[in-house]
Amino acid sequence: MTEARVLYVGHLPDQEVSNHGPLWFGQVLLCCIEGMMLCMLIAIYFYLRLGVDVWPPPGTQLPSTPVPTLALIPLLLSIVPTYIASAGAKRNSRVLMLAGLAGNLLFAAVFLGFRYLEWRSFNFTWQTDAHGTIVWSILFLHTFDLVADLVMTFVLLVIIAIGRYGPKQRTGVHVDSVVWYFLVAIWLPLYAVIYWGPHVVGAGR
Amino acid sequence: MNSSKTQFAELQQTDELEQTWKEPKGFLGSLAVVGHKEIGKRYIVTAFIFLLLGGLEALLMRLQLAFPENTFLDPGRYNQIFTTHGTTMMFLFAVPVMEGMGIYLVPLMVGTRNVAFPRLNAFGYWMYLAGGLFLYAGTFFHALPDAGWFAYPPLSGPQFSPGKGVDVWAQMITFTEVSALCVAVELIVTILRMRAPGMTLNRIPMFCWSMLVQSFMIIFAMPAVMIASSVMLLNDRTIGTHFVNPAEGGDPLLYQHIFWFFGHPEVYIIFLPALGMVSSMIETFSRRHLFGYPALVLALVANGFLAFGLWVHHMFATGLPQVGEAYFTAASMMIAITSGVQIFCWLATLCTGRLRTTTALHFVFGFIFIFVLGGLTGVMVASIPFDLQAHDTYFVVAHFHYVLIGGALFPLFGGFHYWFPKFTGRLMDERLGKCSFWILFVGFNLTFFPMHFLGLGGMPRRVYTYSAGMGWELPNLLATVGALTIAVGGIVFIANVMRSRRHGEIADPNPWEGASLEWEAASPPKSYNFPRLPAVDNLWPAWDDISKRTVIEGLSDDRREILITSLNAAEPHHRHTLPKPSIWPFVTTLGLGIGLTGSVIAFSWYYVAAALGAIGFIGWFWPRRPLEFTS
Repeated sequence: MTEARVLYVGHLPDQEVSNHGPLWFGQVLLCCIEGMMLCMLIAIYFYLRLGVDVWPPPGTQLPSTPVPTLALIPLLLSIVPTYIASAGAKRNSRVLMLAGLAGNLLFAAVFLGFRYLEWRSFNFTWQTDAHGTIVWSILFLHTFDLVADLVMTFVLLVIIAIGRYGPKQRTGVHVDSVVWYFLVAIWLPLYAVIYWGPHVVGAGR
Repeated sequence: MNSSKTQFAELQQTDELEQTWKEPKGFLGSLAVVGHKEIGKRYIVTAFIFLLLGGLEALLMRLQLAFPENTFLDPGRYNQIFTTHGTTMMFLFAVPVMEGMGIYLVPLMVGTRNVAFPRLNAFGYWMYLAGGLFLYAGTFFHALPDAGWFAYPPLSGPQFSPGKGVDVWAQMITFTEVSALCVAVELIVTILRMRAPGMTLNRIPMFCWSMLVQSFMIIFAMPAVMIASSVMLLNDRTIGTHFVNPAEGGDPLLYQHIFWFFGHPEVYIIFLPALGMVSSMIETFSRRHLFGYPALVLALVANGFLAFGLWVHHMFATGLPQVGEAYFTAASMMIAITSGVQIFCWLATLCTGRLRTTTALHFVFGFIFIFVLGGLTGVMVASIPFDLQAHDTYFVVAHFHYVLIGGALFPLFGGFHYWFPKFTGRLMDERLGKCSFWILFVGFNLTFFPMHFLGLGGMPRRVYTYSAGMGWELPNLLATVGALTIAVGGIVFIANVMRSRRHGEIADPNPWEGASLEWEAASPPKSYNFPRLPAVDNLWPAWDDISKRTVIEGLSDDRREILITSLNAAEPHHRHTLPKPSIWPFVTTLGLGIGLTGSVIAFSWYYVAAALGAIGFIGWFWPRRPLEFTS
């Protein structure tokens, strides 16, 4: 062993908060999994659409588009504080992280408020028919993902606020932003399918 | 003088590494283990226990079918047994055992000290265990599923399957798939970002390639089955959604599409790691470089892609449009090309090598023989006119047992003999091993070969009995005798494992003269795998002069530090500290387990699962002093 050649790595950075860390990679793969689930639901939506002549079936109101479209504004704006939080994590700036995480929560809360309003306006449930089933499934799964991520965002906010953080927790803030970008981005096709789908492919209405 | 000083320093260093990487002891400690070798072993042992259970179920079925109009099992019990048999073998044995082998071997093969996410790994194991216990707990609550391992509606729907059996089946899927997804994520990251410096993409051992392709397939296939089982089927049954209810615009065929979009890749998810094992064993026992490494890798990757374009061949008998069916026939037949490339590469390696005919190589030969036969019947059933005749008969049963037992179980048994000295530090007995191989090989063919004729003779699968005078008596009796022979082979194998574990010949680090890095670690490996992490400059590092090995220095020994390397070229990128043992993955599983178990009764239990799960995850993530948050 004494003649062994040596590759010295002690000078390399440790616990890098960046897109090169394993956690970032793992988070992207988790987004692929969740994305795959939501894409399956989109496929199911159109499959069920093909099975009937009129979509949504008579008696079900066409989904109204103004409220969900308006809701896109806070959702898209929430990307800005999310970006700030992740930039703060990379630069180890507590202020930026706190402001970013809080801003993310705030905009997300406004978006969820809009979503609550639009849910109240539906005249169908998941038990009404296949259309109701798939629309509610998409909404439920996406909302569940949003709330789960917001809980984690809130936990991160608390951790940063009480100062119990190091590179690991900053990495947490950074990858938390990856999830949020994903949840915002995946909502755009889901929104188009649920709210504009019936207007575009709902023959007979 | 100088060298004794160096030796002393090295001893001190390994002592410190042992302190840093050792796993906690005691009952509570065992719940907090995060080491990949311990968790890999748990996966393998648990999966073998489920193999035993699934095998016993198979024996019960064969006893029932030994004679016409037998009354050993009643029809209801028979339905439960074939459903549990298929479910156990697919979800609780085949996938987890391959994951277990991957978890144990991949970090050793790529030259690192643990998987990328050790706590996620522990969590995955607990979820798997919980899922298996959940299914079998159904035995005590009259809640065994009885609608087949793929639970087609409307049979599995609320109308025709009252009771909780199908709900238990559907939610068991959630447990096991979460587990498989966890493993997939951590193995991909381990293979792509934690390889030894110098292990470029074209120097990754074949087994790691197979685990990489398999893991990507899991990521894109498993979500589909969770949609099919726990979103579509379970919600239709518990909260009255209409995914598969044609009266309200749903469609039972939709379930089949989603299920098989997962179900076909699932077959390759089971079988690709086995191919990786075969490549490893053939290289070692031919004592030459694997013939056609790039072709083998490309064939694996192509297999992974093609797997997603085949699912409709499980549905040829459902009356889909013929143009679509023709496409799926063509795609199905293409699998013969990628499989053929691999078989020919292996044959070329074997023909030009200097063979060591160990037990493991026997299993490889058994694999080639059985798998080629299964592949031939595969090409037959890929053709629609033939499939319409053979669909739902014993011909299909014969086909998939040839492919799965031949394609996955024989390589796995071979791999088990091959890596046993690495797992335990002792060699398995070769004479008993060869004995078990021949009994299993003869028993297997005796069981399943007659089923081809049964199928062609019109015997449908999943019938609990048949009348005399159909010409089915002799093949059925032969199959039962074969099944009992397999059982004897299994007993010899278990006896060999038990005996060798205590009294087997002591193995040195590289008893077979294998080429990949796991053979450089001690047998069994230390908690830290390698005293100093290796760097490599070719595909066969363990065949080089070990004293000239380049090793890594500059990693801390007093915390669980490993090296992250770049994706393509595996150049050192940064250092990274892996987490210490933790009880939280277990606690989280407990919380989720309570909620998901309740969800078969009422949807509201999902909120319990979410709340308890969130508590678990927050506890898991909560920072602890000192190492985790000092910079």
